[in-house]
Amino acid sequence: MDANLDSPSERFDINNEDDVRGAVMLSYSEIMSRFNDAGLATQIATCISELAMNIVKYAQYGELYIHYQSNYSIEIIAEDRGPGIANIEQAMQDHFSSKGTLGLGLPGVKRMVDEFEIQSQINHGTRIRVKKWINQY
Amino acid sequence: MQTDLREMKTSGLMKMHDLDESDLVMVRKYGTIISPKLEEYAVLFYEWIAELPEYQVLFSNPEVMGRARSEQINYWRSFFNARVDDNYVQERRKIGEVHARVGLSLPSYFAAMNVSFIIFTKKLYDGGLYSEEYSSAISALTKLMHFDITIVVETYSRLINERISKQSKALMEMSTPVTQIWQDILMLPVVGIIDSKRAQDIMMTILSRIGETRAKVFIMDISGVAVVDSAVANHLFKITKSTGLMGCVSLISGISPAIAQTIVNLGINVDEVNSTATLRDALEQAFKIIGRTVT
Repeated sequence: MDANLDSPSERFDINNEDDVRGAVMLSYSEIMSRFNDAGLATQIATCISELAMNIVKYAQYGELYIHYQSNYSIEIIAEDRGPGIANIEQAMQDHFSSKGTLGLGLPGVKRMVDEFEIQSQINHGTRIRVKKWINQY
Repeated sequence: MQTDLREMKTSGLMKMHDLDESDLVMVRKYGTIISPKLEEYAVLFYEWIAELPEYQVLFSNPEVMGRARSEQINYWRSFFNARVDDNYVQERRKIGEVHARVGLSLPSYFAAMNVSFIIFTKKLYDGGLYSEEYSSAISALTKLMHFDITIVVETYSRLINERISKQSKALMEMSTPVTQIWQDILMLPVVGIIDSKRAQDIMMTILSRIGETRAKVFIMDISGVAVVDSAVANHLFKITKSTGLMGCVSLISGISPAIAQTIVNLGINVDEVNSTATLRDALEQAFKIIGRTVT
């Protein structure tokens, strides 16, 4: 529906893996219906999965916002009030993980998007904002 | 921050609705007019309700109808008694639960509350209050009604959400059908999303099937999986490694162009994983491994 294309943003509460799964599935099908591009949908859904899983892993709960900006870009904001990241430079390196996982989430997300911004304060939380520009052919 | 209404105390809920003891006094005062007329209310209300198709389905049985009617009268009696305590809140939660269970929709519930409000304030009102008192009574009535509606709607929507997530879980649990497609070859098509719980299920199922069948090759087809992020990749590695320990080679088939691209972008090291684009390629490899030629 055309009216739906203008809906600017969606918000997801992230409390557990079920919520992550829901956000990933919904955003995947939303992007498919907007752009009909499986590559784009997979990339964005993967970013959402990485960012939301980080919330569950490190902060237990938080929020995820997805803004569809007039079909030119997709912005994702992941926000939590968790423990924060002690060393951002380290967290952005490949294969670094303080939880024994692969340690490719954040650097991988950064490689897939066009803008990447991270703010974190110890014991106050983390906010990650990424943006992907859409190539309209 | 999200507010979880379940964790709020009755006093907090009252504050949220700007309800205080003076409002409750007004509700009780108005109640002295209404309470003797609740039977009359029920007649008017059920005249309205009879028009709604949804109610005709729900109340096809006269016994059910009678019970609903008497519970409804009890509900308004407790409303006009206006003793708002934990027990009062609990009763409203119960109503939300019942509505969710019988599938009475929120729009119908809102419409029914609105009609009740109109019956109480227009049809059954006898003009026995001073106009100033009347308007503060109406305001108190509205606030308490909204208080009730908040609790009912919160319970209702929470239960419906729980039901949806249970359904999707049940669907996922049903979908680990590991099949033996040939002597020594097991196969599992995975559809949807792999999370850690499901990866664990897959691992347990496949390992026990390898134990039973002494299979030498396991093909996992992920063409129906939308997203392979680093956590999923980690799960796939673990599954591959563990089957390897039991002497069974894992082949992952159905890697779509989109997934191949994201895996490379994520920087996942895929040296240890044996993967193919199509199920057919994986099957050919499997036959090679078990030393069979199929033409």
